[in-house]
Amino acid sequence: MFYQNHINIDSLKAAQDSLRTIAEKSNSLNTVTFDLSKIGNDEIILTVLGYGIVFLALLILYLFFANLTKLINITRKKRLKAAGKESSDKDELPISGETTAAISLALALQFQEAHDFENTVITIKKVQSAYSPWNSKLYGLRQNPKY
Amino acid sequence: MEFIEQLFNGFWQFFQYTGFANVTFGHIAMLIVGSFFIYLGIAKEYEPLLLVPIGFGILVGNIPFFEGVGLQLGIYEEGSVLNLLYFGVLKGIYPPLIFLGIGAMTDFSALLSNPKLMLLGAAAQLGIFFTYITAITLGFTSQQAAAIGIIGGADGPTAIFLSSKLAPQLLGAIAIAAYSYMALVPVIQPPIIKLLTTEKERKIKMKPPRAVSKSEKVIFPIVGLLLTTFISPGGLPLLGMLFFGNLLKESGVTKRLADTASKPLIDIVTILLGLTVGASTQATTFLTPASILIFVLGAISFMIATAGGVIFAKIMNIFLKDEDKLNPMIGAAGVSAVPDSARVVQHLGIKEDPSNYLLMHAMAPNVSGVIGSAVAAGILLSLLL
Repeated sequence: MFYQNHINIDSLKAAQDSLRTIAEKSNSLNTVTFDLSKIGNDEIILTVLGYGIVFLALLILYLFFANLTKLINITRKKRLKAAGKESSDKDELPISGETTAAISLALALQFQEAHDFENTVITIKKVQSAYSPWNSKLYGLRQNPKY
Repeated sequence: MEFIEQLFNGFWQFFQYTGFANVTFGHIAMLIVGSFFIYLGIAKEYEPLLLVPIGFGILVGNIPFFEGVGLQLGIYEEGSVLNLLYFGVLKGIYPPLIFLGIGAMTDFSALLSNPKLMLLGAAAQLGIFFTYITAITLGFTSQQAAAIGIIGGADGPTAIFLSSKLAPQLLGAIAIAAYSYMALVPVIQPPIIKLLTTEKERKIKMKPPRAVSKSEKVIFPIVGLLLTTFISPGGLPLLGMLFFGNLLKESGVTKRLADTASKPLIDIVTILLGLTVGASTQATTFLTPASILIFVLGAISFMIATAGGVIFAKIMNIFLKDEDKLNPMIGAAGVSAVPDSARVVQHLGIKEDPSNYLLMHAMAPNVSGVIGSAVAAGILLSLLL
């Protein structure tokens, strides 16, 4: 019988228990204690250094892009001046939030071809496929079938 | 008679393999947690794209079965299907792919139009380092403490990436905590924001963001990658993919690639990541005092991060001219959790003054927070691995 050739259940249970023990051991923290003395110089240095470096990275990024904008504007103005056109300062007049929102909505609707009116009449349109010799029944049959 | 005995023994043998014979209190507890996640995702619509796969993954991972006999069912059993899918989490493959999709979806215009808001994304990383120190005092090792602290970055993929490298044994708990708190942003953040700001401050209207040129948008991912990864090379897998995805989007010539990264690819990876992270919470390895402690520390980390962003915005206001003043609420969006924390700020702004739209302003520290947390993860990785 199949169950007689099978592995002994007790040995399987023992294997299962040993797996659980391994899993428990892998979790190094099973008791909670609060101990300030565990904070050494290394931990403080890592904290200060880590937070400082995050700030430094984003500060450099900020300085670069704050100046890049100025640089782009100066170059653009020079180009416009050389071409004899007016400065583009007028383009940078602040637009109110409502106006921006209205323009954005209009553009979004335009691009998505969305509409707020739904026709409730359902019409079944007749679909007529275009003529093609490939789908013509006529060419699939003999003109004068013998049998 | 012998036949009946054999029949009974056969049935008993079968019963030993069923979930009913192997169920423990832990399994039931985790099945309830999984169902609760699914409930939050579907009924409350809290981050459904994350909570539904994770919640279902918890159910999958906590179906009791006879472990250790080579059935190859569990996520921790080598060679099982779930174990193979979990490989992407363990080896940190999924997080960079998620970052690729995030990069291809994110519009950095808000940040580029007002670059000083990048600093708020850095300030909100305070939670990571504060929790690191706190976790050390509670007996965690430096590596484990750093992996727990990153929950404050409010970035699930970053948390998974870092913990897979520094503390793989805590990965399940850290990932679940990170995603839970990301989903609970609308619950956790508003009280802290209100506590730290006055009504007058919450009503501050910020200058509308300026238009950003295409050249700026194209330069940003290239320069962003170079500057951040030169400082923190440990964050390269995350930052590299984030900025690459953004370049695909902004270049305008790789629309198909950007579409794939931001839609099908990120969806596939989210499904695999959510399900396997959920399944990794197998009761036998997940339900420990350490996991509970990680949840508490994660909450602290998240709160400190929110407070860090808000307080730094208030400090910045001291040095800014009246017309450039920031609404300090946007500092809370520095915790990343894109775009939920920005939405929370918008919602609070509208509540105080229905004509005050803060969403675009809040998106700047929000996306900067993503960069900030990836940089922080890179630093911790370099210093602790």
